[in-house]
Amino acid sequence: MDKVPVRRARRVASEDALAAARPDYRPALLLGSVFVIATCGLIYELIAGTLASYLLGDSVMQFSTIIGAYLFSMGIGSWLSRYLGGSLLRWFIRLEILVGLVGGFSAPLLFVLFEYVSSFRLMLYALVGLTGVLVGLEIPLLMRILENRFEFKDLVSRVFTFDYIGALLASLVFPLVLVPQLGLIRTSLLCGALNVVVAGVALYRFPETRPFRRSLTGALVASLLALAVGFGYAERLQTYTEGLAFQDQVIYSKTTPYQRLVLTKNQRELRLFLNGNLQFSSADEYRYHEALVHPAMQALPRARRVLVLGGGDGLAVRELLKYPQLESIRLVDLDAGMTHLFQHNQMLLELNHRALLHPKVQVINGDAYQWVRQDTTRYDCIIVDFPDPGNYSIGKLYSAAFYRELERRLAPGGWVVVQSTSPYVARRTFWCVAHTLEAAGFTTLPYHCYVPSFGEWGFVLAGRNRHWRPDAGPLPAGLRYVTPATIRDMRFFPPDMSEIPTDINQLNNQALVRYFEEDWGPYVH
Amino acid sequence: MPSRRHFLQRTALGGAGLLLAPLAGLHSCAPGTGRGHIRGSLHGANHATGHLLRAPARMPAPTRTEQVEVLIVGGGVAGLAARRELERQGLDPAQILLVELDEQPGGNSRAGRNGVSAYPWGAHYLPVPDVRNRALLDFLREAGVITGFDAASGLPVYNEYHLCHDPEERLFIQGYWQTGLVPELGVPPEEKAQIARFFRLIDELRQAVGQDGRDAFRIPVRESSRDAQFRRLDDVTFAAYLDEQGFTSPYLRWYLDYSCRDDYGASAAQVSAWAGLHYFASRKGHAHNADSSDVLTWPQGNGFLAEALRHQARSALRPDTVAFALHDTPTGLAVDCYDVRTRLTTRVEARRVIMATPLFITERLLATLPPDAHRALPCRRAPWVVVNLTVQGLPQGPGQPLSWDNVLYGAESVGYVDAGHQRLSLSDIGSRVITWYRPLAAPDPIAARRQAYQTSYDEWVRQALAELETAHPGLTPLVQRADVWVWGHGMVAPTPGFVWGAARAAAARPWQQKLFLAHTDLSGISIFEEGFYQGLRAAQQVLAARKPAAS
Repeated sequence: MDKVPVRRARRVASEDALAAARPDYRPALLLGSVFVIATCGLIYELIAGTLASYLLGDSVMQFSTIIGAYLFSMGIGSWLSRYLGGSLLRWFIRLEILVGLVGGFSAPLLFVLFEYVSSFRLMLYALVGLTGVLVGLEIPLLMRILENRFEFKDLVSRVFTFDYIGALLASLVFPLVLVPQLGLIRTSLLCGALNVVVAGVALYRFPETRPFRRSLTGALVASLLALAVGFGYAERLQTYTEGLAFQDQVIYSKTTPYQRLVLTKNQRELRLFLNGNLQFSSADEYRYHEALVHPAMQALPRARRVLVLGGGDGLAVRELLKYPQLESIRLVDLDAGMTHLFQHNQMLLELNHRALLHPKVQVINGDAYQWVRQDTTRYDCIIVDFPDPGNYSIGKLYSAAFYRELERRLAPGGWVVVQSTSPYVARRTFWCVAHTLEAAGFTTLPYHCYVPSFGEWGFVLAGRNRHWRPDAGPLPAGLRYVTPATIRDMRFFPPDMSEIPTDINQLNNQALVRYFEEDWGPYVH
Repeated sequence: MPSRRHFLQRTALGGAGLLLAPLAGLHSCAPGTGRGHIRGSLHGANHATGHLLRAPARMPAPTRTEQVEVLIVGGGVAGLAARRELERQGLDPAQILLVELDEQPGGNSRAGRNGVSAYPWGAHYLPVPDVRNRALLDFLREAGVITGFDAASGLPVYNEYHLCHDPEERLFIQGYWQTGLVPELGVPPEEKAQIARFFRLIDELRQAVGQDGRDAFRIPVRESSRDAQFRRLDDVTFAAYLDEQGFTSPYLRWYLDYSCRDDYGASAAQVSAWAGLHYFASRKGHAHNADSSDVLTWPQGNGFLAEALRHQARSALRPDTVAFALHDTPTGLAVDCYDVRTRLTTRVEARRVIMATPLFITERLLATLPPDAHRALPCRRAPWVVVNLTVQGLPQGPGQPLSWDNVLYGAESVGYVDAGHQRLSLSDIGSRVITWYRPLAAPDPIAARRQAYQTSYDEWVRQALAELETAHPGLTPLVQRADVWVWGHGMVAPTPGFVWGAARAAAARPWQQKLFLAHTDLSGISIFEEGFYQGLRAAQQVLAARKPAAS
């Protein structure tokens, strides 16, 4: 690629009176600039399109309108270029600094605006328009700068060749290298810096810039510094950017000492994400929580005391409160940020029926393992709703040792129920939970249900009592999913989810965490 | 800051330096090094008090006397085990006294504690023991480490909170944390074949039985076979043996050298082949819920076991007390004990004395007795430095997450253990304590010890962090505290000829039914089981000696 322009440059130089013996590489530099400018220009467009489809959803619509708006703005820029006169090189350098700043900060700016500005869409298109206008000015301006150094046919051919090669490079590098390696924010800032570097090269390689070199150097250095600082803070900014992972509008987000809570909303449903993992969708959580609570509770018509471990959303408690015979419900959840949210947010209070504010309910923010070890109460039912065993710390809460502690806390005839991840996706994980409960001395009753937003989901009911009847007691009125027939169905495992042999999850040999990693790995990575 | 030498001189002059000991513990790192924010303490294991023994003539004369049946000198694992055993065998607790020169007992099993966690200062685990070691199992049962015995197999069931949790070990190699400590990542196939051959050899040796019907390798060491074919291995260094057997793989040799440094504080070129192999081939633990490769561990390390030993007996235990002179008397031995807090000396008149002190102290103390009581057992003792780092976080590289034992391939240290590993809390947040161990396995231990005492607090912290930064870049700003302990005398290294030599056997013999010895120096291998065994053996010798007198 180098060869042609260099050879060509020599010929141009010989015609030029400025340099007799030394080859003039400046036209080559400007053509190189075309290449960089074109690459960066397309990347700004891709960033805007990606961001819009991430944050606003509906990617076909977003990409289409962003590209349209961007190209149209470039047209405006091209048209405006005719009004630029005087030192074109000076205009070009100013323009590059400006493109560097506007384009470079476009991604971080959009992320921040998304959090704080109500009319985000307007801001998005305004920014896309501004970037488009500035980028649209670049090529016409460069062609005018180069017009005396090339024949017209060469000029057009070369400029557009580099323009389109740059576009190809951008469209490959953006999804394959830049986004995975740097993320959107750093990619945007990097391209900004490249534009400023182009300005710098022009400023120092062309003698005709001498008169205004001093005045532009300041702006150039300041811009580079600003971009570099932005690059350094990109990580921190990224915490504002869960929007990336979520299709819907983020209506609440908070980092507690334990996790990142994000609540999203669309017309149909409310979704809660913990560290980016879907916790529930308001559209179908009733299936999950009815399945979690009622098979155990209907078998315990005389239950008085219930312990809920995890489940700080209060949705399992909401189901429990449908049993008037219960005298106390104790909920132990590590994260005060979580329980506080579900005790105060209006939308969530509607969802959990103010369950965590009920006088029978005691909310304790503490470590479940520690709590269970020092507790002396005996419970008729213990509901275990922990996050999936994705690491060794959580894996301890699925160990035989932990289940033996639960066994000590269980009243005679009581039942424990454990959410046990998906028996379809993570078959070994699911059966490992069941087998571990058995190793701890329980008789188990595994079952599963279909929750559309999760897929096939599993639970294990465990007790000392060998006689459990799916229709022992009456179910509360108004359930939408669980009936005696549902309970019978849930206990049937088709061959693709049926029992398989597994190891027992022990504190000194956490088989479960390894199963979970292997089972879920293909779905996550 | 007073220099260490200066500090020692003052200490030797009259114990005044002891008042400064807490002050001497206050240190901070050099400003402008990136470590300026780090505060902590520098301890020198009992050398402040211990070096009082160098000038017994300057100690105050006794002002009171006291009579006991048995005096135990030294409150390490051997002394504590002897005390417990004497009481279990029916000796009146009022007739037993244990004196310990440090402010707390435990010896190498000593532990510390700060607002974040308890942590070890020395030994930190016990492998699941051989079921033939009944006495040890009884102790563990009493300590709640064994919760019962399986009805079907009769095998012990270990307390799951004490068995080391998963993930147990990882090695930082080629920029990645691999599972386990035996190098695998990037190891060429021919070296892997050698590694496999080594472990096959170990499997054979673990099964091997000598002509005397005893296992080739056992814990305690005294139970091992005396068959010459195995004893011969004690005549050569481990390194020479490995050369001869064609174990030349650099990865394997690194691992074996690491193992020797970890267990003995000395390199494979310094310990005997018998000892080097014993480390692997003596692991014969059985349990209902664990296997021979499992270990028991606690946040405070073996401080847990030392405390349990202590609490399983009631007799008087006097810390901060230096036994500095022994006198032969017609009824037993009189021992002058200096209390460093009251600065008064008591003469303890004991019918029998168990010396549960390291040999270099025992030799010094017995020098005033008749010549036939003297001991001479030259042994190599490696200095160690242990750094407990309280950190706000541990930036992780790729691979296995933070484990109990974390070793860096090719490092000077033997890695670090996470004191919070057995924690049951879900939260992986907040601060934790990690304990970094570095044996100073230099060719000349005396020079190494002198060097160790002269090294500054800042320099130890710098060395520890320089090494840890290679695996945890960005760790230094997260360090909240760094507490350093220099073990000048560390522990015995089983150099060739030590374990099976005549000198060791001679050094262990009692004298005139009055004086008995118990220490891991007499085993040649410094592990909890040996200390426990030594204490038990000495206590049984005392009880046997009492019988004719009582009848």
